[in-house]
Amino acid sequence: MNCVLEGNSIKAFGKAIHALSRVGDELWLDPTIKGLALRSVNSAHSAYACFLFSPLFFQQYNLDSVREQDSGPIKCKLVMKSVLPLFRCSTSIEHSVKRCQISVSTGSDQVIVQFFCRHGITKTYNVRFLESEALQAVFASHLCPNVLKSPARLLGDMVMHFHASQEEVTLSMSAPKVSLRNYNEGRNDHMKMMHTEMSLHPDEFDYFQAGMDSDITFCLKELRGLLCFAESHCLPVSVHFGTPGKPVCFSVEDMVLEATVVLATLADFESRGPSQPTETPAPTTHSCADAAALPVGIHETQSNNLQVLPDVTELVESSQGSPITYPPVLMQLQCQGDSACAGMTPPSSMICSLLFEAMSSEPGDDDDDGAPRLPVLAYFSDEEDYPRSPSL
Amino acid sequence: MPLSTQSQGDDEQYVLVANLDNARNLSNILKAIAFKDHAIFTATTNGLKVTVEDSKCLQANAFIQAEIFQEFTIKEDLVAFQINLTVLLDCLNIFGGTTTPGVSTALRMCYRGYGYPLTLFLEEGGVVTVCKINTQEPEEPIDFEFCSTNVTNKVILQSESLKEAFSELDMTSEVLQITMSPSQPYFRLSTFGNAGNAHYDYSKDSDMMELFKCTETQTNRYKMSLLKPSTKALALSCKVSVRTDNRGFLSLQYLVRNDDGQICFVEYYCCPDEEVEEN
Repeated sequence: MNCVLEGNSIKAFGKAIHALSRVGDELWLDPTIKGLALRSVNSAHSAYACFLFSPLFFQQYNLDSVREQDSGPIKCKLVMKSVLPLFRCSTSIEHSVKRCQISVSTGSDQVIVQFFCRHGITKTYNVRFLESEALQAVFASHLCPNVLKSPARLLGDMVMHFHASQEEVTLSMSAPKVSLRNYNEGRNDHMKMMHTEMSLHPDEFDYFQAGMDSDITFCLKELRGLLCFAESHCLPVSVHFGTPGKPVCFSVEDMVLEATVVLATLADFESRGPSQPTETPAPTTHSCADAAALPVGIHETQSNNLQVLPDVTELVESSQGSPITYPPVLMQLQCQGDSACAGMTPPSSMICSLLFEAMSSEPGDDDDDGAPRLPVLAYFSDEEDYPRSPSL
Repeated sequence: MPLSTQSQGDDEQYVLVANLDNARNLSNILKAIAFKDHAIFTATTNGLKVTVEDSKCLQANAFIQAEIFQEFTIKEDLVAFQINLTVLLDCLNIFGGTTTPGVSTALRMCYRGYGYPLTLFLEEGGVVTVCKINTQEPEEPIDFEFCSTNVTNKVILQSESLKEAFSELDMTSEVLQITMSPSQPYFRLSTFGNAGNAHYDYSKDSDMMELFKCTETQTNRYKMSLLKPSTKALALSCKVSVRTDNRGFLSLQYLVRNDDGQICFVEYYCCPDEEVEEN
């Protein structure tokens, strides 16, 4: 793969990498026919971001080298720390860089980034990449009952009112208004916390669809990067969400690029299905950031909402060309017995559904029912009586 | 100035007397080479030379010509002593950093000779401080035997572009490789860090390149830890000359303008880390 960027595109590319760096520590580079996809996921797998740059974004975009390779398409994973410094200083990029050339050399396992700067200076960086499975989140955003499209600065301005250390916020849809408030673990500290809540009227949005009332809680940190990007490009931000527990999708797009951030949301459940014992919800809730430390199952707040999402998704096919026809599968993370939940059987609130799946390259990985095998990230040790939800 | 009106009788005993209206004209340039505690001061009628060395592989020299001083009197051909540079800089800045325009610390530096301490009289706003710093037997500075006749490659660059390059250097690389050649890539700085390699290429036609005289292709590596202190001198300078000789020894010469616009020089000499055969 070989592509050339000029002028403002270089700055936009750098900003995309900055936004991705706020999500995860690794950057997946996926050159496809539809364009160059940059992706990242956080370590808890509760946040995923993807920036897709169409070939029109580039001065030149060549995939020829991909086809010549016998080994197949490139699967490229870079350490964020090696790439971010290259695009670190956007003002100096703006002033001094005239052209940027990025190429992937599978022979030497390197991504070569060259900056052609003013004053006859050329900077060349050879960054090693790791062979890796491609990364992709599967999320049917068109099926979400609630859709908001906000002008570029609106969400950014709203988020500015929250302290930088505020981890989670709750977005509430109750027609005809939308509100954003901070979310704090432990409801005992009413007196100590500062509560911030903002409401917005539907008129403030470019598009407002309230399919159902719902309150979703998600991590703000991973979103800030996208909001920054949207603001700098004056692009409206679309938000797709549904019931708590289902992911929320933030996206921006223009003629030459699309960016998506999919975040897991906290799922508070009120009732349980018949296979699980009844239990009143315990007072403490857990944050999205602790997702990996807590037992995860997926519980719908309304059992009649249980549905199998249809096979069609609208995300970009990966360069491997494997069709995305299987239903989204939820990845389960299990804990080793966090002290907070050890005393409770079963745990009171469940976390963060993860509509996320690492794709494997071999078609033979598919099970009989069409769903590919999932890599298990962590194994249960004890606490066998934790209920597991059925895969949707 | 109160210091310069000291009785002339005192001066009889000093082999070296140097006066500066603005002590910063000395302290700023000394900061550019202050990567070790000890420095060798060598004074001649031409002026003052301060030398700092590291592990016998790196040498930094700061030259403050006699003309920079308001008074520079030397009674012997050569006066040399070793002194703690950190202490000296602390004394020169004893009144704290003042940014008020028009206010500066005046300095009178006096040395009686072998065995005597270096005496500093510092004055600001009517307050006088006297500092006496012990001196030591001066070690002979290393002679790197770097002479112009052996110089194979030389470039002079405007510091601006090199400052950016040095600030972006990958510090996880143990060495800085410098390639100079009459053909591509002309002048190249390379690092080999954990993430990968980085190369900064300066074309010979670059407008940052004031002089380009390369006779043969040479690639040499220098320990990053040795060259890192030179960035202080680079930060102060407006031009830098980079020269390598036939042994691969590196000479970096920085042109520094002080507060009053006068020119001083700082130079760094560095031994190559290993020979790299150019294919």
